[in-house]
Amino acid sequence: MTATEPETVYPVEQIALTAESARLRPTGGGFRRFVRRSPMSAFWGLIAAAIIIMAVAAPVLAPYEPLKSDFRAMSKPPNERHYFGTDQIGRDVLSRVIYGSRASLTVALGAVLFGTTLGALWGLASGYFGGRFDIVSQRVIEFLQSFPDLILAMAIAMALGAGFGTVIVAIAITRIPFGGRVIRAVVMSLKELSYVEAARGLGASHLRIMARHILPQCVAPYLILATTHLGVAIIIEAALGFLGVGIPPPTPTWGNMLADSLNAGLVPPWWLVLFPGAAITITVLAFNLLGDGIRDMLDPRLRSAV
Amino acid sequence: MYSYIIRRLAFGALTVVGVSIIVFAVLRILPGDPLVAIFGPEGFTKLSEAERARYMADLGLSDPLAVQYFRWVGDIARGNFGRSFFRAESVGEMILRRGPLTAEIAVLSVILSWLVGIPVAIVSALRPNSLGDNVSRFLSILFLAVPGFWLGMLIVLAALFMFGYRAPLAGPTLLSDPWGNLQVVIGPAVVLGLGQAAYIARMARSSLLEVIREDYVRTARAKGLSRRPVITFHALPNALLPVITLSGILLGFVLAGSIPVERAFGTPGLGYAMFTAVSERDVFVMQNLVFLYAVVFVLLNILVDLTIAWLDPRIRYQ
Repeated sequence: MTATEPETVYPVEQIALTAESARLRPTGGGFRRFVRRSPMSAFWGLIAAAIIIMAVAAPVLAPYEPLKSDFRAMSKPPNERHYFGTDQIGRDVLSRVIYGSRASLTVALGAVLFGTTLGALWGLASGYFGGRFDIVSQRVIEFLQSFPDLILAMAIAMALGAGFGTVIVAIAITRIPFGGRVIRAVVMSLKELSYVEAARGLGASHLRIMARHILPQCVAPYLILATTHLGVAIIIEAALGFLGVGIPPPTPTWGNMLADSLNAGLVPPWWLVLFPGAAITITVLAFNLLGDGIRDMLDPRLRSAV
Repeated sequence: MYSYIIRRLAFGALTVVGVSIIVFAVLRILPGDPLVAIFGPEGFTKLSEAERARYMADLGLSDPLAVQYFRWVGDIARGNFGRSFFRAESVGEMILRRGPLTAEIAVLSVILSWLVGIPVAIVSALRPNSLGDNVSRFLSILFLAVPGFWLGMLIVLAALFMFGYRAPLAGPTLLSDPWGNLQVVIGPAVVLGLGQAAYIARMARSSLLEVIREDYVRTARAKGLSRRPVITFHALPNALLPVITLSGILLGFVLAGSIPVERAFGTPGLGYAMFTAVSERDVFVMQNLVFLYAVVFVLLNILVDLTIAWLDPRIRYQ
């Protein structure tokens, strides 16, 4: 379910401790090493890639138009013409599930890129400068984290009005504290290291130290954070759609489809419930396990932590 | 201990103030006209400029923002949670009527999550990489990915198809009709409990694995105690401390998760009220409910922190 994502709360200290070891090595053969070290993650990584391809190539893959109603085939269970059946106004469920991946992935990617990055930059600044700015930042982040994230996203999405952009913003804001906290912890431990001190002694400006000496060390924790939060973002997006504050209805999203199924009579037909939810589960599972694999590869010391 | 309690409460009070400002900013200041919510986009365009101004004044929305903010906070301090745009019942009455159901679900789900998560973690940690460990790890990863509301819908469907059973829709209270009440509450509690159990099992497993390697555990074994009492009385109490903290964080997961899950089950709790408010774009109800949820979350976490401090003197004396 929509999670406060606690397992990313705990490794924070460990990420900070191991910031030194967590160095990105863009060597060749990294992919092969990844496959050998965690075949499970590599397999789910392939599934994640397949889902992304499905989203990009949706018009080619979908057998029908996702919005077109066929009034001769309404509420039909899965059959040889419609593999996943049709909904109450005769739209093909398979096509809608395929198109739904577009909304899910766009929102999740957008929210994580926007929210985690903003949080990370904030954490970088507050960790580096410290002092009063840091204290105030910490409080604000704490305030933001006092909301269960789905509730904050609901409130923001409702206040801004439904739409693609607003859903991205709403979910992104709930991601800011996580980026902020993790990266701040990393930066706090980095800025005391002697090479940073040396750079300062040589007269490098704050901006230069941050960009050249500290930022590169934040890449690994940032990547770990971003991949783990993709799954959470997908679930929040689906929940917003299910509650009617997501991307507005005609657009097929997995959450909207589940919400629609509740309007299909007293008892929702099982195929309207099963397929969109299974799509959410498989997608989230794929990104979570891919994230686990990336974490193991970038930072072996975190392996035992979770 | 007392100074710790006072410090924690002071921070909590500050957090509640910060939270109230964020709620107010999000729901009152962000674009989006409450009149559009009340009259619908079409009705809104039909209103004349004067009528709009009059309605805004009636709702107290044309005052300066600071005045509006303090009036809202003052109302809440006096226990007045305002009214819905669309319903006769005041928000306060609604919270009292529906709140207990959601609270029951939350408590039950936390109990369930411990009952499921901890034994699974113990089995996993005692035999790492065994079949049981791998199965339970796979299940916990799976449950992290399953949206609770979808699981809820599946359970409702399965109960209906297999047993022709549907939970009663009206909300019998715990005291008047415990059996009917249990039937309403059990579904959401199981779904939310399993979701939390996945996190708890993961956390407890890794924390147990760490504690088992500690010297004092080895000492206990070396002096001749058998495995079982060492695990239950020496290792487990220490391993559970981070799990208690996690459980507090997971309460946010329960509070938020209960909204779509209650919708999936049709449970008449506070989460369902939140869903109704959001789908009716009922700004005032939403504002008060969001604030209530955040305050409850903050208070529960203070409680968790104090419990931890009580259990673990290292934290008290920091």
